[in-house]
Amino acid sequence: MAEAMAESYNRDSEPTTRTLLRRVLDTADTRTPRRRRSARVSAQKALLETPSSRRLSSPTKMNVRRRSHRARSIGRLAHVHTSGNLEEQTPRTLLKNILLTAPESSVMMPESVVKPVPTPQVVQSSRRESSRGSLELQLPELEPPTTLALGLLAPGRRKQRQRLSVFQQGMDQGLPLSQEPRGNGSASSLTSSLNLTFATPLQPQSVQRPGLARRPPTRRAVDVGAFLQDLRDTSLALASPGDSLRTPVATLPTDTVLEDTQPFSQPLIGRSPSVYHSLPCLSHTEAEDAERAVSHRIQSSGPRLQNHNPGKPTQLLAGKAKKVDALAVSFPNNSSAVSGEDGVEPLQDGVGEEAEERMEESLSVSKVMATTGTQGSVRMEKSKGHREMTEAAEAKEPEGSSGASPELASSTTEFLQARQPQFLEPAPPPSTAVLSSEPLEPLSTRLPPRARTPGPRARTPGPRPRQDPHKTGLSHYVKLFSFYAKMPMEKAALEMVEKCLDKYFQHLCDDLEVFAAHAGRKTVRPEDLELLMRRQGLVNDQVSLHVLVERHLPLEYRQLLIPCAFSGNSVFPAQ
Amino acid sequence: MAFSTTVSQRKHIKRKAPRGFLKHVFKRQKPHLRLETSGDLLVHLNCLLFVRRLAEESRMNAFESKCGVIKKEHVQAAAKVILKKSRG
Repeated sequence: MAEAMAESYNRDSEPTTRTLLRRVLDTADTRTPRRRRSARVSAQKALLETPSSRRLSSPTKMNVRRRSHRARSIGRLAHVHTSGNLEEQTPRTLLKNILLTAPESSVMMPESVVKPVPTPQVVQSSRRESSRGSLELQLPELEPPTTLALGLLAPGRRKQRQRLSVFQQGMDQGLPLSQEPRGNGSASSLTSSLNLTFATPLQPQSVQRPGLARRPPTRRAVDVGAFLQDLRDTSLALASPGDSLRTPVATLPTDTVLEDTQPFSQPLIGRSPSVYHSLPCLSHTEAEDAERAVSHRIQSSGPRLQNHNPGKPTQLLAGKAKKVDALAVSFPNNSSAVSGEDGVEPLQDGVGEEAEERMEESLSVSKVMATTGTQGSVRMEKSKGHREMTEAAEAKEPEGSSGASPELASSTTEFLQARQPQFLEPAPPPSTAVLSSEPLEPLSTRLPPRARTPGPRARTPGPRPRQDPHKTGLSHYVKLFSFYAKMPMEKAALEMVEKCLDKYFQHLCDDLEVFAAHAGRKTVRPEDLELLMRRQGLVNDQVSLHVLVERHLPLEYRQLLIPCAFSGNSVFPAQ
Repeated sequence: MAFSTTVSQRKHIKRKAPRGFLKHVFKRQKPHLRLETSGDLLVHLNCLLFVRRLAEESRMNAFESKCGVIKKEHVQAAAKVILKKSRG
């Protein structure tokens, strides 16, 4: 006791909190209520004395702040350490813990960091204290903030919770969050890291890096309604003059309008609002044309029904024919396409697809049929004169369709007359007029619409250059060549590659023939291929064919080539 | 899949085999023979490997002549070598 008092008096030169506490403890020691704790108390006291003696030597530059902070931190630590021992937390025990666990050398926070953080930390400290009111001494009046800096390992969790609440408060109050992490940065790594995770600001991310902010994607709504309105308006404008004018002269002024409505030249040029929806434009126009054609075709194709039976393989078309028939039936036999259009819209997509397919098939037939009918050609010229058709595809129409029915002179005249209003109407209808008649006349209707798709290429209707598919097939490998080369290449070099590929294919086929013949077969099988690759040196004992297949072919082909066992005791492909 | 499944270039190389084209070529050359279904794919594999070897050889030729562009001569020389190799 006396020594303690002496020590305290020695330290009186610096009246710090610690000394005060020590004094309190020493004096109050005898009044310990619990006896069984006396032993602990004495032990603690002994312990306390040793650290306190050590502290004597420690630099006395510590100011009140740090002492207080340390005290608080120590209190927490001590609390954790000795919590097992204490059944009851009294100020005495707390003090003892403080003194016990106080680190000899406190973590000195640089003044600069300490100063800017006073306000928030005052808040924090006060909060902390309020939350742990029962646990801590009431020393706030002496304490400036900077508790953060000191090692707070044990009550880390509590601290985090607090920090979170403080953080939220800070957010509400608009406190700069950077101060917190900054303050913690100098603290122990554990707590600082823990605190930082909570302190990660959600809001400033976008402020600091505007590029990361999520912006709602700007989408232009498809102006289908407006587009259809435009279509209706134009067709209305076209339909009305079209019906009245049956003379060639009258067709001239409307030709320009006709041309405007042609599917391939027009939608991209004439209709600016729908420019960026060219695809839906095409589908719309084609579908609508099909419908208009249907409505008009009914008149002209009536007499033809008996003449042309669907002798051709039209099983594919049968389904479509039915659909078109249904559509055709739904339309009254009027020449106004407006009503047709309205009915068309809901069925546009389906009809559009069918129209395309029919068009393609019809073209193949068109060449066959083009040979017949000089009359048809005459009429074609006439109709050509009427219309300023820039596309020979449409010129094919009259040729093909009238050629398809040479024996029906009267019907052809009717057809021509019927065609004229069609021609007066937007140009696509005539081309797709054949579409409508397809179910009724699969032969004739095939001719014109097909011509639409190639567009400019159909100007010279003749046998397609035979090299085309061969070149397109080779181009696939030429592209692969340029890809593997990874270097820019000259056009001459690419042509050279094509020649090489041709030679290669020749060699390949010869070899395969030899191998198959050697095996006494007339069919080239995968074994022949494997033998070829083995001879080429691609497949050897180290590298098997399966390995190469796995390396270079996509999954779907791998599945086909490499036999794999499946459930149910089955192997695919079967060996 | 093993290496180089990612396309480094901007244009995407389609990995489909032009099976119809291959069958057509074979038929044109050897009309009296038949080609099996999976043989088609193996022919495509063979073509891929051939083209790959050809490209690498021409690339090496271009490097040797210190050219940044593959020229016709490079390809020609490479073709001679590779065609000889893949004679089988």
